[in-house]
Amino acid sequence: MTGRRPAWIHPAFRLIEGEERFGWPELAGLAVPAGGVVQADRPSRVLAALAAAEEAGRGLLLARGAADPDGWQQGQGFSVTLESSGTTGTPKRLCHDFDRLRGRLRGVAEEGARWLLTYDPGAFAGLQVVLTAAAAGASLIAVPPRASSGITGLAEAARRHAVTHVSGTPSFWRAFLMALGDAELPLRAVTLGGEAADQPLLDRLAERFPGARLRHIYASTEAGALFAVADGRAGFPAAWLEEAPDGLALRIADGVLEVRSPRAAPGIANAEGWLSTGDLVERQDGRVLFAGRLDGLVNVGGVKVSPEAVERRLLAVGGVADAAVSAVPSPITGHLLTATIVPAPGVDGEALRAALRAATADLPPAARPRALTFADHIPLSAAGKKSRKGAA
Amino acid sequence: MTHHPAANHPAASPIFALIAEELGRIAADKGEVLPPLTADSRFLDGGLPIDSLDLATLLVVLEQRTGQDPFREGFRQFTTVGELVALYAVPA
Repeated sequence: MTGRRPAWIHPAFRLIEGEERFGWPELAGLAVPAGGVVQADRPSRVLAALAAAEEAGRGLLLARGAADPDGWQQGQGFSVTLESSGTTGTPKRLCHDFDRLRGRLRGVAEEGARWLLTYDPGAFAGLQVVLTAAAAGASLIAVPPRASSGITGLAEAARRHAVTHVSGTPSFWRAFLMALGDAELPLRAVTLGGEAADQPLLDRLAERFPGARLRHIYASTEAGALFAVADGRAGFPAAWLEEAPDGLALRIADGVLEVRSPRAAPGIANAEGWLSTGDLVERQDGRVLFAGRLDGLVNVGGVKVSPEAVERRLLAVGGVADAAVSAVPSPITGHLLTATIVPAPGVDGEALRAALRAATADLPPAARPRALTFADHIPLSAAGKKSRKGAA
Repeated sequence: MTHHPAANHPAASPIFALIAEELGRIAADKGEVLPPLTADSRFLDGGLPIDSLDLATLLVVLEQRTGQDPFREGFRQFTTVGELVALYAVPA
């Protein structure tokens, strides 16, 4: 039980979690586990635990999955510790000052906004959505874990509650478009983040939801949320290398994007304030386009290749609804790129195979995906990103 | 399987048939024709129209189709088709 409504929860805020509905009185009535550790699989629990931790002036760990919370020390003073999704090994824990977490939000109240939560509420991106909806007095629609399977459950909830704001990864959006079919959605805001947004997807979203603001957000693990691109085009304007928005400075060094941000955590940049994002970029026709992670390069038979760059090529092939390129370990060549393709309905498999081969024919042989597999969906990791197992 | 024909007659094993099928497909994708395959055919000595990337591809496809990865614990030496068949035919 928690007493006073926190200032960061608007009185009009409503949470719809499966069949359950919560306003502040219902959230305040939820039991909060002692010890400052909460399983962050439902936004109701997360909000109740945040309010209780703030009131008690204690630290809170938003635990995800099976990681042992024993090694965690509950600090004095209100802070929030998040766990990374741990797709590539043991989850990392990062302690945030709550005001700093909220400081990144651009709280604009929008009447009648209904947000769909596509991220894990204990993930950084998910918590941003939860806190944004709470502060704006919006409705937040969440699908409880295991209530309905993944993307199908989200599409069903989106239709049923006529959501207006959806933020998700590009991988989420491709699957969501397929799961949604022809259903009408009154979307006002379509936001992409967490992975580089590709042009074919941005085009499909603009066509499918012509009334919505389309934005993709660029963030880096080290520097946090940096900027949003709202012109419907992949990457960002090359002019930003001369003059960037929001007090940022951007430059390309050895093919890698570097930033100077007034909002970067102290002590992580070099002496001149520049911080490497680890993201590979290419200048092309007045744009700066993302071409994968510096550390996402894999060595195939002595050739360094980017699974993400190859994936973007396959996504641009007509008849491809979704595609995932993974690096799998090989005893022969170190790694090998493989591709899983979701064909659009009614597409001829043999013709599509030929088109996919043609789309990568000019790449070095090591960079061409081998072992093309057709599937009806791409499995997503807990963070809503395509898992690139084996790429580590 | 109740017996292990590959131990004595690699060419009679279902794995051998799978390897022949997939190598044929890999060669065809490159516009090549695979010569008749025997247990003594050597993978990378020029007798077969395949390179190391093709061989890496074959192993990935074999893992997808059989669920077995004999190289999980590290590389195991093989040079002929028969030797590769034996790696898959040994029961886990």
